[in-house]
Amino acid sequence: MGLDYQTVLWNKQKKTYDKWIAITMLIYLICFIGITILTNPETSIETLIIRAFGTLAIALLHIILAIGPLTRLNPKFLPILYNRRHLGVSMFLAALVHGGFSIFQFHSLGTTNPIYALFTSNIEYNSFTNFPFQVLGFFALIILFLMAATSHDFWLKNLSPKTWKRLHMMVYIAYGLIILHIFLGALQQQPSWGSIGVLSLGFIVITSLHLSTAFKESKLDKSKTSHVDDGWEYVCTTDEIPEDRAKIFIVDKERIAIFKYDQKLSAISNVCKHQGGPLGEGKIVDGCITCPWHGYQYLPHNGQSPPPFTEKVSTYRLRLIGKKIYVLPKALAEGTAVEPVIL
Amino acid sequence: MEIVIQVFLIFLGIYAGIGLLFGIYFFVKGASQLDPLIKDSKWTVRLLLFPGAVGLWPIVLLKIINLQKIQP
Repeated sequence: MGLDYQTVLWNKQKKTYDKWIAITMLIYLICFIGITILTNPETSIETLIIRAFGTLAIALLHIILAIGPLTRLNPKFLPILYNRRHLGVSMFLAALVHGGFSIFQFHSLGTTNPIYALFTSNIEYNSFTNFPFQVLGFFALIILFLMAATSHDFWLKNLSPKTWKRLHMMVYIAYGLIILHIFLGALQQQPSWGSIGVLSLGFIVITSLHLSTAFKESKLDKSKTSHVDDGWEYVCTTDEIPEDRAKIFIVDKERIAIFKYDQKLSAISNVCKHQGGPLGEGKIVDGCITCPWHGYQYLPHNGQSPPPFTEKVSTYRLRLIGKKIYVLPKALAEGTAVEPVIL
Repeated sequence: MEIVIQVFLIFLGIYAGIGLLFGIYFFVKGASQLDPLIKDSKWTVRLLLFPGAVGLWPIVLLKIINLQKIQP
């Protein structure tokens, strides 16, 4: 949340994370280059750089893809999510060095345009095993470029969160292209069963994490509320919601979060306007519902960000009978004030 | 196949060329047309946004045109 745009949104924690990212990347590169020189001293400098940055990029991509499901499975991983954007840009830079040096070494020493040479040096597009794997890496790099280039709140706001999210979901297409790029490259050049094994393991881990998250989310989506004749739906009792926290329910095919705070109850949409973060997994901080992903805040009684911010989410009407909480499933217009239920 | 590749690369070159020109326009004027909040930000923010404008120029251009229609 901000009234103007900063070049990079840094705070103390983010600076610490970024230092760790830079140090870890540097240590990885030094170790990779050192081990390769020791085990294979004939390797050229260009090949060393290509392999070191390529493996670094794919390792970072696996970490990035694991962060999302890990935070859904365990909120303890949330602090890593706060810095995923910087990790993503770092990964793109590593991939760019890999791609740039590859084009330089393999395609720029002749008279043909290097990009044209990239597409035409191997034209076995009809073959699977001999498919020009470098082209796959090129397209993956374009996707990663578009993602890194739009990793700023300006783009999130002005492309619209929906378009921005769709663009950034293309990371899965990039991941698929990169997996094929590496497998085909390894098959066509020097098959390294060790690297193929590590990559397969990474793919299995990422797929398993996403499937586990999907299973957990589907259980929530299937959780039923009891319908009551006059349109109100029973959701839970007041004891089931911890103080300054929420419980998430599906009503009218939408996820809502019912918050308990200051002896009151309020219900809002579970989807944060920033990046679709799960508001119901956040908590009340300084009287505001605080998104666990990036700290966007909303007032519980009207779903509006505190002035001067302008984000708004839908609100819902609640009713309390004894300790039983009922919700009217129809979402009110974003930012509509609803008198909280007093406990 | 080579013809397909040539046509694709010509298209890519034209797309990137127009993108670069649009990126300059975006840096100078377009960013603040799209979002007046950026007027209060440093020039380095626009510089950081430049690659995004180059890469997604058709979408960004359409957004600016639509905004101009609403707020001439």
